[in-house]
Amino acid sequence: MWLPFIGLVIGIILGLLTEIRIPEEYSNYLSIAVLAAFDTLFGGIRAYLQNIYDEKVFVSGFFFNIILAASLAFLGVNLGVDLYLAAVFAFGVRLFQNIAVIRRILLAKWSTNKEKVEKN
Amino acid sequence: MDNKKINVSFTLIAVLVGFMIAIQFQTVKKPVERDTRDIWQLRDAILKEKELQSNLLSEIRSNEEKLAAYESKRKQSKEQALSDTLKELKLEAGLSEITVPGIKLKIEPVIEEIKIGTPVNRVIPPELLTRLLNELNMYEAKYVAIDGKRIINTTVIRDINMETKIDGHTIERLPIEVVVGVDDNSTAEKLYNRMKVSKATEEFFIENLRLSISKPIPNLTVPAYDDSIRIRYMEPAKEGGDS
Repeated sequence: MWLPFIGLVIGIILGLLTEIRIPEEYSNYLSIAVLAAFDTLFGGIRAYLQNIYDEKVFVSGFFFNIILAASLAFLGVNLGVDLYLAAVFAFGVRLFQNIAVIRRILLAKWSTNKEKVEKN
Repeated sequence: MDNKKINVSFTLIAVLVGFMIAIQFQTVKKPVERDTRDIWQLRDAILKEKELQSNLLSEIRSNEEKLAAYESKRKQSKEQALSDTLKELKLEAGLSEITVPGIKLKIEPVIEEIKIGTPVNRVIPPELLTRLLNELNMYEAKYVAIDGKRIINTTVIRDINMETKIDGHTIERLPIEVVVGVDDNSTAEKLYNRMKVSKATEEFFIENLRLSISKPIPNLTVPAYDDSIRIRYMEPAKEGGDS
């Protein structure tokens, strides 16, 4: 269960070590891609906890969401409308919902565990 | 569903997310450098910059003045003008070597026609050369040299004692080379194409000579005329004269 967190840390370390910098004008796209990735990641965790996890959905959703968010931002830049705000909003709301669901599930698990311990 | 597989895909995606976050962090992160100077220090700094600016401006002005002075001097200098004109005229008269695009013609005896025992045709009839020259001139040839001898306006090609002479230079043996220079590459190409289909080849063949034409050469050096030009019937007009 700790493997994903170790992976996250490894990724961050790798990114910091390689010292890759993308041009300023593309940082918007990357930020929204990061948001999409986060959303998918938390969605995956929630699905796993709810036992409805499907690997195909998870992996495809990860890439599809990133690409969709980046292209939405690109379209927005070209149209002169801040369309990336839509993506930010959507992903932000979903992120909060997912985290809330995860919190509830974990809380429920924790309390049942506690009750079991008390019963024993 | 096996837990291991889920873990692997989760981990891979987590690595990716971490990588992206790190890159984004590095891109956004800028060295924090606060400006802690007070108003007097800022005034000092602006003063320094202004001084620098005025220095630069005065430097630019002086340089521009110098440039203008040089320009006017150069324009006014008679010497320069004269030498320029001289250079131009020399080029036009054929007194200076020149490198231009052009083609090379080679005139050689036809080997198949050489019979054992008979003397090999070693002379090119001057009329043939004159005709070739006329043809070349017609096709916009500007700088021509035959056998290393530059052809200019006063050049004579004639037969003296069965020897073909170009301005006193005897064509002694074949093959000889005719260097033809033109003004630009496209003209050279045109000249080449016209020479390929011209009758000159046949005319030379009648005299047992073969005229071969090279492909256009971009950098062809045409030698200068090496004698002095004698002018007998020309004198400078008087300044202010009515003619």
